[in-house]
Amino acid sequence: MSDDSHRLIEHVTQQRWYGAKSRDVSHAEIVDSIALRTTEPAYSVALVEMRYDTGAHDIYQVLHPENETAGIARELVSAIRSGLTLQGEEGIAEFRPLAGFAGLGRELKDVRDVGAEQSNSSVVFDEELILKVFRRLEPGINPELEMLRFLTEHDFANIAALGGWYSYAGGPLAATLGILQEYVRGGLDGWELALDELADDPYRFLDRLHRLGGVTGEMHRILASDTTDPAFCPETPSVEALGLLTATVDEEIARVFLSLPEADESVAPIAGRGEEVRDQLRMLTHTGAAGQFIRIHGDYHLGQTMWSANDWVILDFEGEPARPLAERRRKRSVLRDVAGMLRSFSYAASACSILRGVDPPEAWEDEARSRFLDGYFDTVDPSLLPADQPAIDRLLAVFELEKAVYELRYELDNRPAWVGIPVRGIQRLIEEATAA
Amino acid sequence: MSEQWFERDPLWFKRAVFYEVHIRGFFDGNDDGSGDFRGLVEKLDYLQWLGVDCIWLLPMYPSPLRDGGYDIADFFGIHPDYGTVDDFKEFVEQAHQRGIRVIADLVMNHTSSDHPWFQESRTDPTGPRGDWYVWSDTDQRYTDARVIFVDTEASNWTLDPVRGQYYFHRFFSHQPDLNYENPEVQEAMLGVLRFWLDLGIDGFRLDAVPYLFEEEGTNCENLPPTHAYLKLVRAEVDARYPDRVLLAEANQWPADVVQYFGDGDECHMAFHFPVMPRMFMAARREDAIPIYEILAQTPDIPANCQWGLFLRNHDELTLEMVTDEERDYMYAEYAKDPRMKLNLGIRRRLAPLLDGGRDEVELLHAILFSLPGSPVLYYGDEIGMGDNVYLGDRDGVRTPMQWTGDRNAGFSRADWAQLYLQPLMDPVYGYQAVNVEAQLRSPASFLRWLHRFIALRKEHPVFGLGTYEPSRGDNPKIFAHIRRWEEDIVLCVHNVARSAQAVQLDLSQFEGMVPEEMFGRTSFPAIGELPYLLTLAPRGFFWFRLRQPT
Repeated sequence: MSDDSHRLIEHVTQQRWYGAKSRDVSHAEIVDSIALRTTEPAYSVALVEMRYDTGAHDIYQVLHPENETAGIARELVSAIRSGLTLQGEEGIAEFRPLAGFAGLGRELKDVRDVGAEQSNSSVVFDEELILKVFRRLEPGINPELEMLRFLTEHDFANIAALGGWYSYAGGPLAATLGILQEYVRGGLDGWELALDELADDPYRFLDRLHRLGGVTGEMHRILASDTTDPAFCPETPSVEALGLLTATVDEEIARVFLSLPEADESVAPIAGRGEEVRDQLRMLTHTGAAGQFIRIHGDYHLGQTMWSANDWVILDFEGEPARPLAERRRKRSVLRDVAGMLRSFSYAASACSILRGVDPPEAWEDEARSRFLDGYFDTVDPSLLPADQPAIDRLLAVFELEKAVYELRYELDNRPAWVGIPVRGIQRLIEEATAA
Repeated sequence: MSEQWFERDPLWFKRAVFYEVHIRGFFDGNDDGSGDFRGLVEKLDYLQWLGVDCIWLLPMYPSPLRDGGYDIADFFGIHPDYGTVDDFKEFVEQAHQRGIRVIADLVMNHTSSDHPWFQESRTDPTGPRGDWYVWSDTDQRYTDARVIFVDTEASNWTLDPVRGQYYFHRFFSHQPDLNYENPEVQEAMLGVLRFWLDLGIDGFRLDAVPYLFEEEGTNCENLPPTHAYLKLVRAEVDARYPDRVLLAEANQWPADVVQYFGDGDECHMAFHFPVMPRMFMAARREDAIPIYEILAQTPDIPANCQWGLFLRNHDELTLEMVTDEERDYMYAEYAKDPRMKLNLGIRRRLAPLLDGGRDEVELLHAILFSLPGSPVLYYGDEIGMGDNVYLGDRDGVRTPMQWTGDRNAGFSRADWAQLYLQPLMDPVYGYQAVNVEAQLRSPASFLRWLHRFIALRKEHPVFGLGTYEPSRGDNPKIFAHIRRWEEDIVLCVHNVARSAQAVQLDLSQFEGMVPEEMFGRTSFPAIGELPYLLTLAPRGFFWFRLRQPT
């Protein structure tokens, strides 16, 4: 291995945003480099290919020099403002502002590094703007950019508006490199707020949930509103779409029940009831038409929301990070988002007991569900849903079941103390069936 | 831009599951009664769910369709029934986004007589294309070359009234053979390959490759210049197009087929034709010997090569690679109605060949998936579709894919009468009984079983990469063998009989190890010094992973 490759490997693997910590890197190489500033101090954006022993590879975005984030970030924002196109050896980098974004005109003074997570790193300017730099690059347009741009251009108010972006297209790949958006100042994390209020004043949060339902319905209405954009135009699902969903969820249920720990008290309410769950699934999936499929949030829960200036802000449109990008851009039923949020209420109620030591009132979760759904059905476009309420309820239950089964597997592997939450969710779905 | 969707892997095809699609019959995306690329895009989610790694497309080029599109009239286009070159590009892009690769049929040996090259050649013998086909004043050359389509062709030569000469054709008389002695023809065909590779395709299934060159006094099959040309093609692909695959269709005995791998510098893959009829024979005769024998006669292949294995495909179940006696047996057992015969084969689909027996269909898939090679599935066989022996030629096994129990089997929104062929409607295999939608919803369906089975095979690279060792026990009705790759050892045991059987296998080399059944992960008794006793249900099978005791 050359010294250069060796130094590069060392440099990249030490970064906080470097994700593949468990993989053995056999080679690293700069596959392209874009000069941002040629006079001293010189700045550049490099695409670094990390090759692993298995023959696979990832491409990372590396800012050079990495310890001058503030200076480079200013340079990136100024390139976005000016709409520059810069040439590399193997391709071009495009920097683009979003027309009409007010936050772009200002002079940037204070620059604050807000750290790195899940293969991104972010910088905040004057508590007004945030620049998110995608480090591990995936081919194709990043859904965060695509969704924010669409929602900003179609005047959805409950997001941190997009200001601009930069991207690369060339031999190594075509990918989004980073986005610039409004910074939500003084926002309260939706999940933390839920736990705080559940402990202090559980009923105050319910009013907020009615509003969250309304905002969610409005988000879906807008996402379905442009039939001229092929990436967003609503689609009629294929005839086998529900069949594929049924088969996938059914096999996941079978798999998780096969590996259910026998002596574990927390799984007792559902132990040995795998077949019941599968029967229930089969009944639920006879819903007839599923409604139109559209682009959805994709990873929707309270942790993706913020309470700011007396309203909700919806965050993080990247989708489930573990899934391939093309899959995250797939159109789906809006009820998948709704189910994600309903499961989140169940988590909040239990987390309040586990983390705060306060048990929320018995009926709180039911009340939370109905307040959220009331708000949602007031604003959502009904053509996105199955034709009648029983069919809507059934399809929603399918997605909740899918989610709960996924949670069960996750908690069994990672957080045994939380296993009871998905267990209660699954139990509820079987018992509703018996009651109905 | 296919590279960006996949991790670099020059041997991907060794672990892949292939799926053969008849575009016309898969899904109609524009309501004209014929399947097309737009329709195929709509069904990619289904194929991704099934676990398909690579789609093999039957010929998609402009063609008068006198031989199902294997009579190509333009190498650089898409048949208008299927869409446009742009539709094709979009399809490849969408498939790649789902992690599915795409290879397409390409006929190198001949063109349609409608091809402009042939029209030029026959009208202008001294012109630039005058020598692009094999012309002769007599039909008495290459007389040792057998006639392949014995049902329709009397000779490999046909007199062209326009040019006043005979032209050579190994297949139908409307498919003149290209003259590969001419370097311009060789270069023109390389240009065809480059055109599609540049559009992002992942490789080709090279149709009828043994026949490219002719030579007096030989049977005109598998000749050295044919191999030399294929090596040239491979060198071009390796130099410019990483991770692509060339799959040879050479319906020949294994010793001849292995030549198409060269020293790992010719074709990446070749179909193993002779093993296929022997799987059916084994099931009917309740005797595993034919499978052991053909595998014993199969030479080793280079490490970077792979066999393509299949149960059924778009052609007749070919019986060229069996003895006369075996062929008579197969006809008697599998083609009771003479309409079922075609050329030297049987034109039926998998499920009806096995009388719809679920155990038999599962058993043959288990044997197929256990053998060294990559399985190739034929569209519709994953739901056990039937055939229609009353349709001409091979149309009986090319009827519309049965998606639902609704109108036109969910295949098309066109009028019933407008469909290129009507879907099957008989009570056993018709679309109301056999369709994707119903089987997706039923956990016990064959489709759901096959989906789990594909996933299981893909979890264990040993099936694609491992060595093969027969493990003949004391019972000839049992086909048992061992696959090994690195630390993985797998024992596959299949009962081809209609009755329950016991077998004792000599597993002494694995003494102390524990066989773990791969579907349910159940541990069986550890292997001792004595022969290992297993009992199997009728048409039953076990796959075991051999692991160290815990």
